Amino acid sequence: MNPKMMIWISVALSAVAQILLKHGLTRVQSKSSNGVLGTIFNIATQGFIWLWGFAFVAATGLWLVGLQKLDLSYAYPLVSFGYVLVSVMSLVFFKERVDANRWFAIAVIGLGVVLIAGS
Amino acid sequence: MATESHPALLLAPNTAGQVPLIRQWWVAFSASTVFVVCGHLLIKAGLNAASEHPAGAGLVPAILHLLLQPAVVGGLSIYLLGTVCWISAVAQKEISFLYPLTSINYVMVVATSLLLFHEVVPPRRIIGVAVIVIGMILMNRNSAKRPA
Repeated sequence: MNPKMMIWISVALSAVAQILLKHGLTRVQSKSSNGVLGTIFNIATQGFIWLWGFAFVAATGLWLVGLQKLDLSYAYPLVSFGYVLVSVMSLVFFKERVDANRWFAIAVIGLGVVLIAGS
Repeated sequence: MATESHPALLLAPNTAGQVPLIRQWWVAFSASTVFVVCGHLLIKAGLNAASEHPAGAGLVPAILHLLLQPAVVGGLSIYLLGTVCWISAVAQKEISFLYPLTSINYVMVVATSLLLFHEVVPPRRIIGVAVIVIGMILMNRNSAKRPA
């Protein structure tokens, strides 16, 4: 796999991880628990939290391998593409309202990412 | 882990019994920026120093090889410290106000990569970072205008 592809997959996996974490924590909140220990137990046994953990570790690993062969000034700003992905996924999976101003801002960030990706 | 129990100086209450510095959002935010940027520089320094892993050796061994580099581990730890400071900042100030400020991380990382690693930064990349900064400001403009 080429290093640039690894960076893109890492950024996408981080965004997916955010969605998994949010979904997992929402599920934990909806469960009744007995005190702090009960909450910790509910978090530790929530499948989506585990998926978040795996996605997080995989994203970090791919990031390191990709970054070894790329400039930091090239790879690091690409992380901001995560904002674009998280916004789109929040709309799709959580039906969160994304207003026109926010879409415009997301498009501007996307443009910046495209400029860097081609640099 | 409570942030108050962290053994960093800025987390300790001062002698006058006032709130620790980290309990002020701008201190927590600045600390997070410094740690996040320094953490990434150290990670990159570790990656640059590490030997190239044979291409055919598989992804997992390649990742483990890099995770065994002391500078990479140190950088990841500093980065984690930055994340703790960020959480502390978010706990004290609206996220819509803080989020656009994090775009300074991109500017700092690009500037320091240029200075420390002598990376060649084409104008297009600088324009790209500037556009991202504008996008992040726009993204939170409306919610930031709302009175707290």
